[in-house]
Amino acid sequence: MKKRMLALTAVACSLGMLLAGCGATNATGAKDGNGVITVFDTEPQNLLVPGNTNESGGARPGTLLFAGLVSFDAKGKASNEVAQSIEGNANSTQYTVKLKPGWKFSDGTPVTSKSFTKAWSYVANVKNAQKCSSFLSTVQGYDDLQKAGSLKGTEQLSGLKDIDDTTFTVTMSKPDATFPIKVGYLAFAPLPESFYKDPKAFGNAPVGDGPYKLESWNHNTEIRLVRNKLYKGNVKPKNGGVTFKIYTKVDAAYADVQGNNLDVLDTVPTADAKSFRTDQNVQAYNRPGSIIQMFTIPSNLPHFEAGTQEGTLRRQAISKAIDRQGIIDKVLNGTGTQPVDFTSPKTPGFSKGLKGKDNLVFNAASAKELWAKADAISKDNDKFTISYNSDGGNKAIYDAMVNSIKNTLGIDVAADPMPTFQEFRNAVDKRSIKGGFRSGWQPDYPSAENYLFQEYDSAAAHGSGSNDGDYQNREYDRLMDEAYAAPSTDAANAIYSQAQEILLNDLPAIPMYYDNAHGVAAKGVKGLAVDWQNLPVYSQLHK
Amino acid sequence: MGKYLLRRILQMIPVVLGTTLLVYALVFALPGDPVKAMFGDKPVNAAVAAQIRAEYNLDKPFIIQYLLFLKNALTLNFGNTFAGQPVIDEIGRAFPVTIRLALMAFVFEAVFGVIFGIISGLKKGKWYDSVILIVSLLLISVPTFVTGFLAQYFLGVKWRLLPVTAGSDPGFLDLLMPAMVLGSVSMAYIIRLTRSEVSSNIAEDYVRTARAKGMSNRSVIVRHVLRNSLIPVVTYLGQDLGALMGGAMISETIFNVHGIGFLTYQSILKGESNMVVSIVTLLTLIFVVCNLAVDMLYAALDPRIRYA
Repeated sequence: MKKRMLALTAVACSLGMLLAGCGATNATGAKDGNGVITVFDTEPQNLLVPGNTNESGGARPGTLLFAGLVSFDAKGKASNEVAQSIEGNANSTQYTVKLKPGWKFSDGTPVTSKSFTKAWSYVANVKNAQKCSSFLSTVQGYDDLQKAGSLKGTEQLSGLKDIDDTTFTVTMSKPDATFPIKVGYLAFAPLPESFYKDPKAFGNAPVGDGPYKLESWNHNTEIRLVRNKLYKGNVKPKNGGVTFKIYTKVDAAYADVQGNNLDVLDTVPTADAKSFRTDQNVQAYNRPGSIIQMFTIPSNLPHFEAGTQEGTLRRQAISKAIDRQGIIDKVLNGTGTQPVDFTSPKTPGFSKGLKGKDNLVFNAASAKELWAKADAISKDNDKFTISYNSDGGNKAIYDAMVNSIKNTLGIDVAADPMPTFQEFRNAVDKRSIKGGFRSGWQPDYPSAENYLFQEYDSAAAHGSGSNDGDYQNREYDRLMDEAYAAPSTDAANAIYSQAQEILLNDLPAIPMYYDNAHGVAAKGVKGLAVDWQNLPVYSQLHK
Repeated sequence: MGKYLLRRILQMIPVVLGTTLLVYALVFALPGDPVKAMFGDKPVNAAVAAQIRAEYNLDKPFIIQYLLFLKNALTLNFGNTFAGQPVIDEIGRAFPVTIRLALMAFVFEAVFGVIFGIISGLKKGKWYDSVILIVSLLLISVPTFVTGFLAQYFLGVKWRLLPVTAGSDPGFLDLLMPAMVLGSVSMAYIIRLTRSEVSSNIAEDYVRTARAKGMSNRSVIVRHVLRNSLIPVVTYLGQDLGALMGGAMISETIFNVHGIGFLTYQSILKGESNMVVSIVTLLTLIFVVCNLAVDMLYAALDPRIRYA
């Protein structure tokens, strides 16, 4: 009997060891040779299809795999990539696009006009359920492709015409001066013919025309990219490849950078926010970025109605009661920047001198005065709440902000955390939040339009866009239309500045801070730069 | 024995059905619309959202969704994730990793737990007994994530003794630290359990009788003391293997192990009911099988149970 028991234990032990040992091929985290850089990523939410990629897990590798008509430099300035020229007519309703000859996908097939027009139609066609479809909404024929019932999925946008292999025209359903910039967004990438045969297989092994090509994608583990020899665009890679290591949690990635197992992490876990800039084990970076953090106050909130005298006074009072610099220094440990507008310092056309920017500066005396003036019109004794999702690490910021308002104005203010982002979004969509709520914005392409139209135009209100506060202002809408029809990007930017001065007075949302692009790199990594999306410029990294 | 086994296996059917229904209902009751959440802060194209909802049957009533899931599951089709990956593939990737991790933790806690427990029990009151008691108390009272971060920082980052994280395709060394962290709490319990059993059994009459018969000390301990002491330990271990599989989440997130714990957590956040239910069903099965194995082991350890 003794033998039997011992044998059982022995079997159990050896089985365990066997199972444990059977994957022991790469025992320790060996460092990649051949100039390959390893960077942080999360598992893409979808297969890597450009038109269906709207989050950073997929966008990080996606932007290296696909080259569009234009590309952006680190500052967000657009220059022609696959396009030879994009010529618009006087009111920006029609564009003629000419392609540079000789571009090829990494599988050797040529990049032609059709590679663009067919891909864009695919994205716009609702039958294909692409998450970025609304980016095509200004192209003529978009509305016809939104009736799921009668579509096969192969219908083309009527506004797109192929003239020949390297020329096509785009007719818009309404003026769109931003179009030549928009086309640099991932959703506008060209697709090779092989995509349409099996979109799913393509999504698992995408073939693009970008500076890198996919070597392998081991789901939930890593995405390996190597240089694409057929690429001939603006990007000049300084490394042999980029491997995206997929993490389940940022903390583990940070420990890996410290331990020299990972080269770059483009964020910092909350636990290390205080210490990362003095951490001897890493190189830290922290620069002004393109994300703006705000909270929206619904336009119809009692006593805060947008456009009314009382509402405007209260909005300005709340805004001036927030000690932003104090919060940035103490809670964010300097990883933010005091806001002066509704876009970001990384947005082309950004101006520090807009009228009304004082409304975004802490001024206790003025805040009290404004609140008292509003109370003289109609007394407000309601509790003011600000909701946010607590799964994104926002608690400390909102607590500090609420305290700042409470201490300055002496009114009843409270933060209202909601457990998950899903629940929070649901409440925003249902308009069930009776108070302020968090609203951050990360741009898709470097243009003021992407911030200003999507968030504050009447056309984007009441569920048809991201104007979640349902802000409506005729003068503002008029300026948006005017900017769309502007003859050039510079002319449009001038109009956007004018429109922002309206926002700075009305404050449909209260800007809190610009999120800095911050993160850490392992010792010895060179060429660290940050682009307009707050992401490292992967192609410039080397060791 | 055969009849007993069959009955136990048949009992699993209602257990699995009940669990899946319960878990499906719980995931269904989660607040928020998973399809809208896919769009983040960006504008939602209502037509596209409707298209996705129809594809995943999310537009149908709860009970229909559940029955459709069951119907497909019977043909071993567990559906696709929102990312378009077959659920079964995702589980197939994550599961072996967690099994490896859990078994390593299991072996670690069983071997060291029993060894230290016996030493402690036999040498009650000596200084190493006190040391073992204090260490086990520490392990029980400090939360796993603290032990995990401390181990990671000192063993991984500072002294570079073990890999900082497990990473892709983890091998034995990669999983060693996460497994020790995962198994440490249970190990402490096993030490204490074994210790108290051994120390009370050693004072029993049958031990004295065995010694009086002239049996060697080693035989007395192995044949009589250990055998009787190990019954509660085996019970604990059997249940713990199931718990280790399910409880690997904290250790998996700290060490970036791409196993089942993390997959479950992500799927709950995304509202992927098919994935969550499939994983929970699998875990339930493992739990039931482990319990069955424990009952069988009892019989091997204690003849009275066998012949009863």
